[in-house]
Amino acid sequence: MTHFRKSTATAAVAVLLLTACSTTTGGTAGGGTAGRDLTAAGTYPIESLDPHGAQGATTGTQLAAQAIFSRLVRPDATGQVTGDLAEKWEPGATAAQWNFHLRSGATFSDGKPVTSADVVASFERMQKLDGPNAANFPDYEMTAPSADQVTLTAPAPDASIPRKLGLFYVIPAGVTAEDTAFFERPVGSGPFTVNRFAPSEVLAMSANSKHWAGAPQLDRLEIRTIPDLSARLTALRTGEVDVVWGIPDDQLPVLRGTSGVTVETVPSTAVFTMWFNSSSPALKSPKVRRALWQAVDFATIIKQLYPETGALADGLVAPPVLGYAKQEPVGYDPQAAKAALREAGFESGEKLRLQFSDAEFRPFVQAVASGLAESGVQVDVLEKEKAVFTKDLLALNWDINFQQLATPTYDAASNLGRLYPCAAGRTGYCNKELDALLAKAGASADEAERAELYGQAGQIIWRDAVGMYPMTVKLAYAWGKKVTEFTPDPSGLPDFSRVKLTAK
Amino acid sequence: MSGAAVLPRRAAAARRWHRGVPARVPYVVIALYALMAVLGPLVIDYDPVHTPLQDRLLAPGARIASGEIAWLGTDALGRDILAQIVYGARTSLTIGLATVLVASLVGVTIGVVSGYARGRLDAVLARIIDILQAFPAILLAIVIAGVFARSVPVVVLALSVTAWISFARVTRGVALSLRERAWVDAARVMGVPVRSIMVRHVLPFTVGPVVALATLEFALVVLAEAGLSFLGIGLPSTAVSWGQTIANGQQYLETAWWISTLPGIALSLLIINIGILGDQLTARYGQRRGRI
Repeated sequence: MTHFRKSTATAAVAVLLLTACSTTTGGTAGGGTAGRDLTAAGTYPIESLDPHGAQGATTGTQLAAQAIFSRLVRPDATGQVTGDLAEKWEPGATAAQWNFHLRSGATFSDGKPVTSADVVASFERMQKLDGPNAANFPDYEMTAPSADQVTLTAPAPDASIPRKLGLFYVIPAGVTAEDTAFFERPVGSGPFTVNRFAPSEVLAMSANSKHWAGAPQLDRLEIRTIPDLSARLTALRTGEVDVVWGIPDDQLPVLRGTSGVTVETVPSTAVFTMWFNSSSPALKSPKVRRALWQAVDFATIIKQLYPETGALADGLVAPPVLGYAKQEPVGYDPQAAKAALREAGFESGEKLRLQFSDAEFRPFVQAVASGLAESGVQVDVLEKEKAVFTKDLLALNWDINFQQLATPTYDAASNLGRLYPCAAGRTGYCNKELDALLAKAGASADEAERAELYGQAGQIIWRDAVGMYPMTVKLAYAWGKKVTEFTPDPSGLPDFSRVKLTAK
Repeated sequence: MSGAAVLPRRAAAARRWHRGVPARVPYVVIALYALMAVLGPLVIDYDPVHTPLQDRLLAPGARIASGEIAWLGTDALGRDILAQIVYGARTSLTIGLATVLVASLVGVTIGVVSGYARGRLDAVLARIIDILQAFPAILLAIVIAGVFARSVPVVVLALSVTAWISFARVTRGVALSLRERAWVDAARVMGVPVRSIMVRHVLPFTVGPVVALATLEFALVVLAEAGLSFLGIGLPSTAVSWGQTIANGQQYLETAWWISTLPGIALSLLIINIGILGDQLTARYGQRRGRI
């Protein structure tokens, strides 16, 4: 029995320690302080280095891929498309065909030149693996008319091709779809080469001296996964890591008070998106959906929970995204909301199922549920495991769905154009007029015209309250004093090839 | 085996029992928790859905917007910590009691039947117990609680699935030795039906060890429930649980220590006191268990 007493006492203290231990990671004078070495701790784990595979669309793999591989084109920190392997590009007769001219002098880290054959082989590999990135290019075809030119042909005009290609990475030809060994020490044409990779733990890289734009300023770059937030921030303060991002508001004042730490926020492309399931009988009417939107005091919630990294949204997509159009804000008006709900005969008896996935959004979602409850709308807050959440999301097994929806391509085509047509069936909402606008916007090659059309489409979605669009998100970055030139990236994918360190 | 060997131990246990105030501390503490769980919610009003954001992260003793004092502070959504501890006590004790009740009913029934029947039935049941015992209890609970939609009955089920084993083992041992006793033989010879023998002549003797064991199991169940809630599985987010409150305060340990610390202390105090009480009861009633 003394054994029990011992084990219970240990176990009882363990619950306390479970929380406490998270902040007591050994503050050893960490690696990465010598020479021009940089250690970063991102928000999401890197589980695979294969940019064409099933993990290809995850933030972790994207972060790794842009350091190791090159793309034809990539978005810069403001969302503009800039050339990477491609020097220039132009559409063919219609926007269904795009030509890309490769720059000369680009080589892989093993010294072999990057040719159009590598680009085409990579594209075919991505299509063959049929990962999430391939879904952006259904039945698209890439050919190589010459050694320094590739042509991408789409089944229908698609003006967003250059922006979508920001998700496509080039690897050497000859790597088969099933080749997993290659990605243990991959050969790429990016600014860094891999020294060591342990999934969800660490990715250690050194500078690629053969990079076409010149070797990066760093000698070594290490991206470490520290899942626990407080441990990550402690590591930043002790100097164990140099750059951290994705920091919640409540931690920012503490970090600001730490000497040598620079904190900066940057507007991201993400918008808190709370779709209503328009196919559910209770939420069929746009009046009811709009009333629910009015019933929540989003301004106060944002001011309290996200004073620094949140702002009341005034559009469906974030301002840097092509297709952003300012909409008339939906103000907090509980009286009007209640009256509208009563008039529409809204049944408050049944609970609305509000689903979300990540624990970091729990406070926000709970505050929204609280706001709705005050207007007499009962909500069942359902926090789901990621896989279950995705399954239910696609099956429309919810009444209100919360998501932080980012537009990494900086193009409304991959947000509005992908999610809101009737055929997509993502929200239960269907509007022929909207469908026509979205199809027209997707087919046009003129950026100004597309922005205008997406703006009109956005107005319909906003007016009919297909969802609530409460907040645009900023990303908070913090870095130590040895980092001098660092540009916070809106997508959470900082480019380390331009980072400079103070001379020691 | 002899009574003489047992008696001094028993007497010593009884002496410890009467030794005064320190020995009674666990009773007082547990009574206070029970009182808090039963009466607290009548006195303190708390709605887990309501989030008064303007009161968020207030230190213990601070005044909230409505003018009342938050004696133990508020959490990141402005909800009162004292109220969460009080309502959490109710959740913990309810789940603890329900689980122990279910587990002891199942465990004692299987144990008595298995021990009394002996033979093949006993062999099968005993092996099942052995197999289940080889399985990590908390892992099984996580799997079960993770598969079903969150609710209190699911948590009770998930925790009972392994909790009954110890009850079955203890009662089986008691029943094995009791069935050889003279009074059981006598009843059998007189033609008393088996079921009546088990209920009248075997079952009453298992009460002592089972009560002692139930106390210890109770502490483990409360702890396991807090663990599940801490991991975010089991209870729905509208239920108030110490584990959830502790998890919610995790990222505020530096800036708002009270969110995790105070429910943590409430939980540890309860577990430690139940543990001590369980040891006392075992010393008093559980000596038969030592012989198994």
